[in-house]
Amino acid sequence: MNAHQGLGRVTEDELHAYVDGQLDGNRRLAVERWLAEDPEAARRAEDYRAQAILLHEMFDTVLREPPSDKVQELSDRLKGRVAFNDNRPAWHARPLVRFAAAVMLVVAGAAGGWMGRGVDQQAAVPVAQQRQTLATFAQEATQAHRFYTSDERFQVELGADNQDELNGWLSKRMGRDVFGPDLGRVGYRLIGGRSLPTDLGAGAQYMYANDGNKRITLFVGAPQSGNQSNFSFTQNGDVATFYWVEGPLAYALAGRLSKEELLEIAKAVYQDVKAGPPRREAPPEQPQQQPQQQQQQEQPAGVQPISDTHKAKES
Amino acid sequence: MSKFGVDLEVHIASLRRYARALMRNSADAEDLVQEALTRAVARADSFQAGTNLRAWLFTILHNVHVNQVRSKAARPQEVDVDDVESKLVSPPRQEERVELREMMRAVDELPEEQRKVLLLVALEGLKYDEVADMLGVPIGTVMSRLSRAREAVRAKLANEGGVTLRRVK
Repeated sequence: MNAHQGLGRVTEDELHAYVDGQLDGNRRLAVERWLAEDPEAARRAEDYRAQAILLHEMFDTVLREPPSDKVQELSDRLKGRVAFNDNRPAWHARPLVRFAAAVMLVVAGAAGGWMGRGVDQQAAVPVAQQRQTLATFAQEATQAHRFYTSDERFQVELGADNQDELNGWLSKRMGRDVFGPDLGRVGYRLIGGRSLPTDLGAGAQYMYANDGNKRITLFVGAPQSGNQSNFSFTQNGDVATFYWVEGPLAYALAGRLSKEELLEIAKAVYQDVKAGPPRREAPPEQPQQQPQQQQQQEQPAGVQPISDTHKAKES
Repeated sequence: MSKFGVDLEVHIASLRRYARALMRNSADAEDLVQEALTRAVARADSFQAGTNLRAWLFTILHNVHVNQVRSKAARPQEVDVDDVESKLVSPPRQEERVELREMMRAVDELPEEQRKVLLLVALEGLKYDEVADMLGVPIGTVMSRLSRAREAVRAKLANEGGVTLRRVK
């Protein structure tokens, strides 16, 4: 392929690795420079990425289908067999999550049943269901982050020039009030958003960038029942993702950042979301006070956003 | 916060998606996953803590698939009518859009070795070296299969009027 000033030649393999998010920082820069100069290569990268998106559109439906009973049973057995390899408690075994699951039963009952299941079955199903759904949601958020941040031309469907328009459009797509939080105090500005299919129905992806053009995305989905859940973290390659449920919405914040850096931003999102949308009516009331308090307590102390300490106290 | 339980759920979801994309039929795909998980349970002791759980699971699934293909090839073709019918029924709602239909066809027309690599990398996000280990081929082979698969799909989609997907408006 082409030679590039000071960065060496970019190979065919590196173009693929770039598309697949398997390239480290320096070489990514080299590929980006190449793509900026070579429209044909840029088109290829874009087409390859489009292929991946199409594959996801074709097959991600599987993630929403419950596994067969046999597969579920084998998964549970495998978990039992291999679990001793991992000395951390399972997510669902943590007290808060169990409590949240109990709360969810009440909410799900009030909302007319969990995915059409009978009341009797609810006690057995939702915890696993919720766990899988949220984990899948986080995975989707991570994948969406990877696709849409790796090439500037993918960016957003709708820019943030008019935030009311953007929020209104995404709220309409999702059938719920959503908005892109203000992350100015942690150095990120909203550049736009897009609507994407998720495990939880239509989802909204908000994209932010900082002065160094580092991108983070906030993925918002609408779970079927609004139980709270604590911040959870997952790392997929170089993309870190925090996800949680707050009120009627699930959030996943993804970025190529350290866990600590991302946590700081996640807390800013959390606070701004709780403070409510700018110049719009308040979000639907949030049912469970108690888990929120617990959630606050569980958050690590001392990582408040430095630039906005008074606002941090608000929630 | 725990990884293991959640990781396993995610990996199995990922296995099921890959199996579906590979088999293109939900019953066959679920059977493949079931067989792979049965073996995984039986060999759980051989899984080493701290190693790559996802790669371990995918490798088992791959081996099961290879064995299935091999034993099918060894048997005379004798196919149940019901099987054929279920294979002819394409998944409904997902193929409404033309570009999805074209993509599906382009992927189906790839040689299986290329199709696997494309699915593992582009759909499941496996690392190149994981794919190489899993398939038992050098990484260079993975890269060339990936490259050929992507170019073949690209050429097919371009012939059908090109993919103008979600470019910035």
